[in-house]
Amino acid sequence: MAAMFSQNPLMNGPNYSFNDAPKVNAPEGARQHRFDPYTDNGGSTLAIAGADFTIMAGDTRHTSGYSINSRYYPKVFKIGGTTADQHDANLVLSVVGFAADGEALKERLDAICKMYRYRHGKPMSVKACAQRLSTILYQKRFFPYYVYAILGGLDEEGKGAVYSYDPVGSYEREQCRAGGAAASLIMPFLDNQVNFKNQYVPGSGEGHALQERERKPLSRNEVEVLVKDAFDGAVERHIEVGDGLQMMVITKDGIEEILLPLKKD
Amino acid sequence: MEFGNSGSLSEDGIHLDMDRLKKGEVNLGTSIMAVTFKDGVILGADSRTTTGAYIANRVTDKLTQVHDTIWCCRSGSAADTQAVADIVQYQLGLFHMMNGKLPTTQTAAAIFQEVCYANKDRLSAGLIIAGWDERHGGQVYSIPLGGSLHKQSYAIGGSGSTYIYGYCDANWKEGMEEADAVNFVKESLKEAIRWDGSSGGVIRMVVLTAKGADRHLYLPDTDYKVRHQ
Amino acid sequence: MPGFDFSNYNRNAALHARGVPLPKATSTGTTIVGCIFDGGVVIAADTRATSGPIVADKNCEKLHYIAPQIWCAGAGTAADTEFTTALISSQLELHSLSTGRKPRVVTCMTLLKQHLFRYQGHIGAYLVVAGVDPTGTHLFTVHAHGSTDKLPYVTMGSGSLAAMSVFETQWKTHLTRDDAVKLCSEAIQAGIFNDLGSGSNVDVAVITADKTTLMRGYVKPNERSAKLKSYAFEKGTTAVLNEKIIRKQDLGNYVSVHELSTTEEGDKMEVDT
Repeated sequence: MAAMFSQNPLMNGPNYSFNDAPKVNAPEGARQHRFDPYTDNGGSTLAIAGADFTIMAGDTRHTSGYSINSRYYPKVFKIGGTTADQHDANLVLSVVGFAADGEALKERLDAICKMYRYRHGKPMSVKACAQRLSTILYQKRFFPYYVYAILGGLDEEGKGAVYSYDPVGSYEREQCRAGGAAASLIMPFLDNQVNFKNQYVPGSGEGHALQERERKPLSRNEVEVLVKDAFDGAVERHIEVGDGLQMMVITKDGIEEILLPLKKD
Repeated sequence: MEFGNSGSLSEDGIHLDMDRLKKGEVNLGTSIMAVTFKDGVILGADSRTTTGAYIANRVTDKLTQVHDTIWCCRSGSAADTQAVADIVQYQLGLFHMMNGKLPTTQTAAAIFQEVCYANKDRLSAGLIIAGWDERHGGQVYSIPLGGSLHKQSYAIGGSGSTYIYGYCDANWKEGMEEADAVNFVKESLKEAIRWDGSSGGVIRMVVLTAKGADRHLYLPDTDYKVRHQ
Repeated sequence: MPGFDFSNYNRNAALHARGVPLPKATSTGTTIVGCIFDGGVVIAADTRATSGPIVADKNCEKLHYIAPQIWCAGAGTAADTEFTTALISSQLELHSLSTGRKPRVVTCMTLLKQHLFRYQGHIGAYLVVAGVDPTGTHLFTVHAHGSTDKLPYVTMGSGSLAAMSVFETQWKTHLTRDDAVKLCSEAIQAGIFNDLGSGSNVDVAVITADKTTLMRGYVKPNERSAKLKSYAFEKGTTAVLNEKIIRKQDLGNYVSVHELSTTEEGDKMEVDT
């Protein structure tokens, strides 16, 4: 990139995001000109599975470089309903990274879920959809969808299920997962507050013999509080996160959407 | 500021980078000119200063006084041309005090050339020097990028000048009246501003005669028709 | 040798060429502005400092003291703005003492531009210089490469475009003090809300012939929302693997101890209760 900056390096040139600015390490000053189809649009997502519910959340800011493109650009989507308003959907997909790829991936997975429903006369299970999403991502192994996807729903037993993915389709079922720009800020908080990592029962022993705090599933209300606090914290310290918090709560009665304000600076 | 990523590293660990000058510089992507006429000289310039695509200053004064009736038009890097003009202003002030007489335009131009040529590898400065003195009347000198010095009856410079070589050539007349010369400069710069994206804003002029320096200002609001100062 | 220490230059350049990344300087990806009014000048700044996409400081000071009646707002590399303004402040004080005159804003601007020009932009300080001296009210911008501008209203930093849009639509001649403060504050807020490099609070300094008023936290539009629950841990939650007790009177055996007065305190750190 021809570094034409004035007050800040990213102001005048094309608005690349921070970890995505093309490396200019060409030998002997030769400048590379190549097609760069990816942009990091910032933002963060978060998913937590409960005993009989799953909460998927994401902020609604869409950025490139130091600019805000939109203060309301959803990253969390209902998937596989019979109609456009997705009132009877049973799955939720969150995507963060390159927003255009996220949109394309969402559209594709939604179409596949709809086709499945039409052919089989029943909605796709979260387990089946998770495997299918992995296949879709791996199909583009050498021109990946530049997104970190998380799929949420309820499993066959009615328990909360969260599946998280890397951009080329490696996936696993987890209790909780944070993705995107502030993942490294949120994930340690989740480890501590959801899985009680590094928490021991006071007075239960000495040194290594100390007992770990027992894991118990959190209530829906407790999880909603954790999500809001996690994002409030992320907004304080990450410049690409903010504006609005979108939450989807998946229960046996359907999917409830909650929109809360975040700081806008 | 960060290290540049461009350039090459030689075996002795010395970093070479010829593009260094352009990086992040505040540029006077400019239209400037100076013309002689019957009673003296006129300097003219647009007023746009840019950093990349952003206009950092829309009312810049690119006509800089270095002595009573010796001025210069600056184009290229804002930092470099300001530094050079400051040095020459100091040298001319010193000259005046040491010799007890006014420096000539030629003296000023020679000092400008000295600085520009000695530091040619470190400067991006295109200057036009114009002045009036008792002995020679109005004179115009041009110092382009390499540091050479050219005495001319009129000179144009900056990125916008490429658009008006034909216009100036067709309309130039030796020994014009003041009003005609002002009009020649104004119409030339209007054309340069019209076609050059990095030129714009107001038109500034300085008329140098036996009577001293006289400033002109023309605003785009009135299509540069009305003199405001 | 006075000035900077270049003894690691060759080593660092060689490491850099072999792919070792350079250390990240804290940059004040900033919005700073200045505006002249009838009787003085106002400068203002946001208070966010960043390191890449991470907020390094939520409430840093970007308005720097030069002389009692000359202040400076800084954008660019945080260390460069701090040290450059401190250096010129010192030179100006000594100059003022030896001449027996009040320091002038043009003198300050000239010292800054000559210092920055000498370092060819490697000192990444982008400054707004403002003040009142015996010759009148002055407002300048100084770019890292050493170029300067003189204007009635100025903006700099990554939020300069957002801030300038406010000035270009609302500025008028002959502002009152209050109008100028309001205009500058709104320009900074445009930067805070529309530029990711800027955020948190608005700091304002008003300089007139008789006094300078620094208003730290003039507007605080981004107070942290209260946490929804307490994250205080029960005592004993953290595993203690081994223990060694050093008594206060023995502390001197390990480190040098200086008693400090408790009267002067910095900003309180944010802690959970």
